[in-house]
Amino acid sequence: MIQHIDVHAVLQESVSGVYADLVTRPTGRVVRERIERAMATWQYAVTVARIDFTGVGCIDYSCADEIVAKLLRDRRTVVVLSGISDGHREAIEPVLAGHGLAALIERRDGGGELEALGAPEAAAALLDELVARRLAVRTPAGTIALTLA
Amino acid sequence: MTRLVDVPAQFDDRSFEQFAGAYAAAARDGERLLFDAHATEWASPYGLVGLLAAGQAARGAGSSERPLLTAPTHADVLTYWTRAGFFREAAELFEIHGKLPRVKPAEQSDVLLPVTPVRAAEDVHAVVSNIQQRASAILASELGLDPKATMGFAMALSEACQNIVEHAGTGGWVAVQAYHWRRKLARRVVVIAVADAGVGFRHSLEPTQSKRFGARWSDAAALEAALVQGISRFRDPGRGQGLAGIRRYLTRWDGKIAIRSGTARIAIVPKWDEDVPLQDGLPAFPGAQVLIIIPEQGSTTP
Repeated sequence: MIQHIDVHAVLQESVSGVYADLVTRPTGRVVRERIERAMATWQYAVTVARIDFTGVGCIDYSCADEIVAKLLRDRRTVVVLSGISDGHREAIEPVLAGHGLAALIERRDGGGELEALGAPEAAAALLDELVARRLAVRTPAGTIALTLA
Repeated sequence: MTRLVDVPAQFDDRSFEQFAGAYAAAARDGERLLFDAHATEWASPYGLVGLLAAGQAARGAGSSERPLLTAPTHADVLTYWTRAGFFREAAELFEIHGKLPRVKPAEQSDVLLPVTPVRAAEDVHAVVSNIQQRASAILASELGLDPKATMGFAMALSEACQNIVEHAGTGGWVAVQAYHWRRKLARRVVVIAVADAGVGFRHSLEPTQSKRFGARWSDAAALEAALVQGISRFRDPGRGQGLAGIRRYLTRWDGKIAIRSGTARIAIVPKWDEDVPLQDGLPAFPGAQVLIIIPEQGSTTP
């Protein structure tokens, strides 16, 4: 079962005002804790959590570390990031590489294809693990796609 | 007794050392300070936020009275300082002498972000939100930066401001401006200036780093540890990302960062600049002052 988490909505609930940017470590911590709570209390057994960044403006390095790296480091489920822009990548990729971590990114074209972002070795291992667990398949075009809807 | 601190006629990061020297000498005995800017003809964003940091330090340094500030006498300078939001912040710190014009802080101009206080994470949210609305067009059209670089700029700004919130132990200020830098590059630049009069890098890193450095521990060593080695005072392995991220961004866009704290100053110097990478033994000045310069893209041969 895929759980969908709307980060922009979580952000709106977490900070006062109408800010759309994921900046500062305290904000990142609050947002991550809310995401973790949502994952822990979901009614179904969560296999994959799709963390959707659509509508989020800027992500700074502190938030990339506090949210993405820590969610991956303490992972109990497969985390897939969606709605990731080039600007988001710019913050997330070096943070993950610095930790030797990788994250699954769902491409924005809507085809459900995945790529792994972050440290190259961790990225390759992550994709292999996903296929081995039959959560994703290698498509004839050579890409990786989730098997769950 | 009142001690005089002259504000340089051209007040920027270079003349800041002259200012810091005057401040250190005058602040020695805890007397009330008079910052004299009457003859100041121009101040960069770094000069403006640095002057506020000096006022903040002087206010908290023993004298029960607010420090005095003689405003510039030149009408254009006064108007610019007002438009840049300086006097709005200075009014809380200084007893200001001089007639100030009734001008609103800039809405649409080269002042991309007027002098803005940074005290908490909420302020960083506001700064990042404002800069994205105001700076995108200038960064892309006037500096020739890829539109994608705008978000990187906001990230760098956010991390620079967070240094105040997380490490200074007090509030500080940020200002962002675009201008034509004739002296150095003969092209346009965007400048981010951040300053506080807090505890500084050495004090912030001391509990976790001083033993490692031993007798070499100093303001210069602390700056090197933070900017070059990406060391943070927090033991969490994810910390120290901010300055490292700013460096990456500046490397990509041929930019410069310089950080002054205590008696030292460190700079990552691009090819177009001749700054000194590390200076020690400078006049003591409280807190930390950060300068980030991003030049118009293209040839940056000085």
